[in-house]
Amino acid sequence: MTDDPNFTPPADRRSATDRAHIGDIEGALGTLPAHDTRPRRTFSARLATLLAVIGPGIVVMVADNDAGSFSVFAQAGQNHGTGLIWVIVLLCPALFVMQEMAARLGATTGVGFAMLIRQRFGRIWSWFSLTQLFGLNIATLLVEFIGVRLALGYFGVSRYVAVPLAAGALITVTAGGRFRRWERAMYVMIALDLALIPVAAFAHFHGAPAAVGGHAVSQRGDHAGLLLLLALFGSSLTAWQLFFQQSSVIDKRITPRWLNYERADTAIGAVLFGLCAAAVVAIAAAAIGNGMLHGHFHNVGDVLSAVDIQLGGPAAAVLAIMLLNASLLCAGAVSLSGSYALAELLGTKHSLHRRFSDAPWFHAAFAGMIVLAAAIALIPGLPPGSATVLVQAGGALLLPPMLVLLLLLANDHAVLGPQRNRWIQNAAAAATIAFLAALSMMLALRTVFPGVRLHVNNLTIPAAAAAVTVAVVLAHTLYQRLSGSAEDPDHELTPWERRTWTTPALERIDPPSASRLRTAALAAAAGYVAVVAVLLGYAAAGL
Amino acid sequence: MNGPQLLPDEIAQQVADTMFALSTPSRLQILAYLQHGPRTVGEIVDAVGMEQSAISHQLRVLRDHNVVTVRRLGRSRQYAVRDEYLIGILADALSHITSVDQAMPAPAIRAAS
Repeated sequence: MTDDPNFTPPADRRSATDRAHIGDIEGALGTLPAHDTRPRRTFSARLATLLAVIGPGIVVMVADNDAGSFSVFAQAGQNHGTGLIWVIVLLCPALFVMQEMAARLGATTGVGFAMLIRQRFGRIWSWFSLTQLFGLNIATLLVEFIGVRLALGYFGVSRYVAVPLAAGALITVTAGGRFRRWERAMYVMIALDLALIPVAAFAHFHGAPAAVGGHAVSQRGDHAGLLLLLALFGSSLTAWQLFFQQSSVIDKRITPRWLNYERADTAIGAVLFGLCAAAVVAIAAAAIGNGMLHGHFHNVGDVLSAVDIQLGGPAAAVLAIMLLNASLLCAGAVSLSGSYALAELLGTKHSLHRRFSDAPWFHAAFAGMIVLAAAIALIPGLPPGSATVLVQAGGALLLPPMLVLLLLLANDHAVLGPQRNRWIQNAAAAATIAFLAALSMMLALRTVFPGVRLHVNNLTIPAAAAAVTVAVVLAHTLYQRLSGSAEDPDHELTPWERRTWTTPALERIDPPSASRLRTAALAAAAGYVAVVAVLLGYAAAGL
Repeated sequence: MNGPQLLPDEIAQQVADTMFALSTPSRLQILAYLQHGPRTVGEIVDAVGMEQSAISHQLRVLRDHNVVTVRRLGRSRQYAVRDEYLIGILADALSHITSVDQAMPAPAIRAAS
């Protein structure tokens, strides 16, 4: 840095995949000129910067509380009372660790997750990640539109009015060509979502006392309990969120200079996610936790009716509006995660700063996914409740390999330079992946061999897997420190250069070095995919 | 706010987009190679010396920004510079850097084979 307090070097990215990704941050709550990289010394200056930067993290986290989460968390509350709240307490830090890596990759590289995967891991992983992204996105969108249907159905609106109306509104907001307008619309929906928290407090004090002893899942080890547990993780930790936040950080023009503010954004989002999820559990538990429906979750529509009976019409109406809102918010974010990835891989313009005519592929992909899912949601006779849980569990099943790719990218020196992971981030991320992978494997095993007795407390195996992984990461870090191979290759950089380092154009950086750990991690991920595919194929053949 | 001497905002954005398409060395190499006439992807790959997938991606970016056009030629695709103004931009840019640094010899454009 120079001595002049009013001047600091620019901190732009060295490369971009769309010109619209470079420039001033035009957030819903403030503007941050690209040249203004001065240190923020006063509280008000920091607050103003934070308000301009926040967005991607909050949007991705609150959108995570979608119709599917509503459904699964309501199911948890209905069947197990508030006994599963501990899952939410575990989920928040896990979400933060994963999303922070995606945000850091976005700010530093300027390249989306899908493109990075293709560049660093090749075609096969690229196809795998795209297929699962689009497959799950369509399934998730379907769940959102069923949510719209149920929510407006509560008010007696026909699905043939509700679903097309919702789809049209989403496309209009997104194709407007103004990032700020889009973010404002998102904030309005987020604000509405947060109204869940007072509703939950009301339900908690006016509803029936919640059922206690909801630890049934973790102790019984039954198939449905495992499935629900996996769905709780799968509805909260999802691949689309990684794709979305990375691209959104880029499109919002957040550079590494603002990474700490973006971290705050992600942390605030994770807390809001936890509060909203806990609110849904509490409402469902209070409304039906000890009633006749306890233990017999069918779908969110039933929860709405039960709330209506237990807490009165206004509470149920508020909940229905929440459900509608959450569905729309998530549908908007999920489709964007796909259209960003697709347009970037196609080499076409992809930015919310551009109008429909200016970025036709990007906006058409968005609109196409919305319309397709809306059309499927109109087909009569879809079973909303069970379909939702299957989508969530499927997402959780496919997530571990994606997280392995994310973790490898976050440790790739050519990609992240001085901003790559520290050991503590690796330990936290690896533990989450191991936990999730073990849980998924257990479910897959139970599906194929119903006789397998996993009667030991269900969580012992995933927890042990997580502990072993943390031990491996620690041992590896210690080994590197002791053997001297951990020497920082960026030690000649000044602190300012470290904080504002960005990745050169991808075509110019070194090809990935074939370290033993990288090869082992990729092999493990591929092996995991193969085993899950075989088990599910076997299960499908047996049906 | 725009006086008569300024570009309309919309136009400035479009010009910036065109310049963005010409803002990486690999895309400039492709433009330099194509200025002598249409070429197939295989020829471009051989001349520029990058991987096929990287060249294909850059060609898609160039096409999306209306810098090159594509024509199907049997089984392969042939790319051409969309208009001669782009060749003029490249030539002017070369003249510009030469005049900035007189000591620097005029950069030779790789001859098309």
